[in-house]
Amino acid sequence: MQPEAYVAHHFPNLRQQEHAARLGMWLFLATEILLFAGLFTAYSVYRFLFSDAFKAASERLSAPLGTLNTVILITSSLTVALAHHWAHHGRGKAAAVSLLVTLLFAASFLVIKGFEWTHDFHEGLLPGRYYASTELTVTGAPMFFTVYFLMTGLHGLHVVVGMVVLSVIMVQCWLGRYDHGYVTPVELGGMYWHLVDLIWIFLYPLLYLI
Amino acid sequence: MATTTNSHSEHDRMEHARATRYWVVWVALLAGTVATFLLSRVHLPSPFNLLVALFIACTKSALVVLFFMHLWDHGGANRLVFATSIVFVTLLIGLVVLDNATRFTLTNPGRGPTLQMEPPGPDILTPRGPPEPATRPDVPPVAEPGRGAGIPAPEPAR
Amino acid sequence: MSQSLATTPPAPADVPAYNPRNYLNAEAGITSWLFTRDHKRIGLMFLVLTAVAFAIGGFFAMLIRLELLTPGPTIMSAMTYNRMFTLHGVVMIFLFMIPAIPSGFGNFFLPVMLGARDVAFPRINLLSLYLYVIGATIALYGMIHGGADTGWTFYTPYSTTTVTKVVPILLGAFVLGFSSILTGLNFIVTTHTLRAPGITWMRMPLFVWSIYATSIIQILATPVLGITLLLVAFEHAFGWGIFDPARGGDPILFQHMFWFYSHPAVYIMVLPAMAVMSEVVCASARKNIFGYKAVAFSSLGIAFVGFFTWGHHLFTSGQSTLDAGVFGVLSMFVGIFTAIKVFNWTATLYKGAVQFTTWFAYFCGFIFLLVFGGMTGIALATVSLDIHWQDTYFVVAHFHFIMVGVVIMAWLAAIHYWWPKVFGRLYSEGWGLVSAVLIILGFNATFIPQFLLGNAGMPRRYYSYPERFWALNVASTAGASLLAFGFIIILIYLLISLRYGKIAGPNPWGSRGYEWETLSPPPTENFLEDPVFTRGPHDYTEVPEGAEVKHAT
Repeated sequence: MQPEAYVAHHFPNLRQQEHAARLGMWLFLATEILLFAGLFTAYSVYRFLFSDAFKAASERLSAPLGTLNTVILITSSLTVALAHHWAHHGRGKAAAVSLLVTLLFAASFLVIKGFEWTHDFHEGLLPGRYYASTELTVTGAPMFFTVYFLMTGLHGLHVVVGMVVLSVIMVQCWLGRYDHGYVTPVELGGMYWHLVDLIWIFLYPLLYLI
Repeated sequence: MATTTNSHSEHDRMEHARATRYWVVWVALLAGTVATFLLSRVHLPSPFNLLVALFIACTKSALVVLFFMHLWDHGGANRLVFATSIVFVTLLIGLVVLDNATRFTLTNPGRGPTLQMEPPGPDILTPRGPPEPATRPDVPPVAEPGRGAGIPAPEPAR
Repeated sequence: MSQSLATTPPAPADVPAYNPRNYLNAEAGITSWLFTRDHKRIGLMFLVLTAVAFAIGGFFAMLIRLELLTPGPTIMSAMTYNRMFTLHGVVMIFLFMIPAIPSGFGNFFLPVMLGARDVAFPRINLLSLYLYVIGATIALYGMIHGGADTGWTFYTPYSTTTVTKVVPILLGAFVLGFSSILTGLNFIVTTHTLRAPGITWMRMPLFVWSIYATSIIQILATPVLGITLLLVAFEHAFGWGIFDPARGGDPILFQHMFWFYSHPAVYIMVLPAMAVMSEVVCASARKNIFGYKAVAFSSLGIAFVGFFTWGHHLFTSGQSTLDAGVFGVLSMFVGIFTAIKVFNWTATLYKGAVQFTTWFAYFCGFIFLLVFGGMTGIALATVSLDIHWQDTYFVVAHFHFIMVGVVIMAWLAAIHYWWPKVFGRLYSEGWGLVSAVLIILGFNATFIPQFLLGNAGMPRRYYSYPERFWALNVASTAGASLLAFGFIIILIYLLISLRYGKIAGPNPWGSRGYEWETLSPPPTENFLEDPVFTRGPHDYTEVPEGAEVKHAT
């Protein structure tokens, strides 16, 4: 399909439309950043108030698994960036394979998260009024787990949404719909995925390491 | 119709960029991950552990934003949008934590040991230390950290 | 009249007084409206829906005022009264005040004023409309099942433990927030990328500047409200709580997060009102705006500085004294930018050739009430004064001065100023002026007693009050009845004008706004030919045809 066919009636040319799409996506990502900011605020307040309890509680999380998840997400960001690069150069099949690899990474991220959550469930480290651990009873520890589940839960939801978006784009890439004239969906889908990675880059040290 | 921007040159720059930059950034991100993991095992004193972790996280984020998300290539409004969101996140977190940090400590939630502290003096930012118990009849005796002694946890209404 | 267009304009005799092929009759059938991508149709639907929401919120207001007619119970129980003021707040703020001018008039006129054919993302615009309906439906469901009794501010820990139906209202507000975000996103991208040739940033209509500033607030602030309401809903429904004091939670954290949105939200309401007034003041004085750059940049100033002030809602809640002091000082800065606008509008009127129309009457009400509403806001921002006024009727009167006296006057002015452009017909000017007087008088009669009540110590959200407050409450209810009467008259003559109103022609007011360069009602693509603008947006150096008085510089 000729690139010009993608131009909507109210845009003068494709470049302008792409520029608008990119700006619109950045604005949407800004709203996502502010959405998570609320949870980061809660985290910051309670870490300040209950620093010892948070330290003890974060030691109950598995830092190796968290690190593995971080590596997985970072690599998935790489594969998405490569997919965009290849789609831009007209190599649709390579881009689709790269996106498939991204989806596999994303799925394994969720599987590992599932393991972590199940483990926490068995130890009674649950959010809010469901907290049932008998070993970790210092004031503020239940708050850590509430914030932990809320943050990783919201992040996980975004991972799922990202997977859906990338699956659709993967199919389109395989069918050869994108080339250097028109690659906007891949770019925008990729940006969303990078944001998911970005948020995890902050969640990882704050929840697992310090 | 609508005024065009200079996205032609941005587009051309992207056209000629190579994939190597992505691999380089990936290696840098992995290195940052390893670094932050190892540094956390060193158990730096607070607040340095937090500052170091945040510094590494910010550097990794900058790499993702600039190169994976192409903010290095695309100019102007996109950068402004991202920077503005970060400024306001900082504003929100900063002023809220400042509140809890400078409150009359008895009004902060859940702080067991602070129940013993005197209210702040004329200089609000340097509260005095715990006084002799005999001079503070309104402060209950030291309870274990957590809820005050003898106060049952209320059940939330359902 | 159309010499400003560089393309060949049609000769005046050829311009039809009523555009026969306009956006209203371009396609017929209900599906053509439900699936439209035309920003004008979407804007019109928003206008109708928000007007209905206004009626619902007004209905709750009348119930409140009726209840407050006597010190004890009048027509309802205490619990019902709590639900009434909660629903009045929720409906008025989330269903009316936030979307009315931006999603209604902004959608209709922002692309036209930029010479564009549509907003940047028409389908997202439609999605924004759908989200509005969905959010309203969810909230309505909650209302029908009794509604919440927490106040529209949903303070914890009461909102997380109340037995009333707070979760649907929270979820409805959450969805409405996304409608707001998408509208703001669309406007920002449209302003950046779809300006017609000749419209540089410094030649955009001032309406666009203020709507742009509003959109910035919508993007940055609304998500924080979203997550906050979601957290309350989670805590209420599942017990996953971060605000529960029994588990070390901080209820004031909720207030911080809530007001981080809700204070900028009042600027989401006020900036579009100011947007309208910047347009109206030039058209009524037939004079260039005094200080274009100052007015344009003060919009951005209000948007940004508005984010630094939220703690003034927490002065008596228990935040630290240092934070209270910081927020008290920062709150003063907003007054600077508002004052810049007030001075510039007044200077625009000075030595202007004023035409006293209905919408100018609303402008008069607006400017007077903005000054008093704004000054009482600055007074409330003084910590030592707020300690006495917090949670009294003084605060209620202050924000109603701004919300009704400023925003609703601007909304009415917008309706009357742009009615001929949107529908191609004129309304009855006599009845317009009569109802404007009724509204302004009724407004003052309703809310000035509330300043006095608050100063005398009557708390807000109280169901009963001591007998010494009886007379002022009766006065306030009487004023509210006048207000309601005024709105009903407006509704009647506007609806009549749709059928029987005089045909307006493209520019009945002789305004130099860009939107008046096209036909009334506009065609679907906004302009018959893609416009190129060679003059400034409020440029009255050329006297428009039909002006009685020569332009005064």
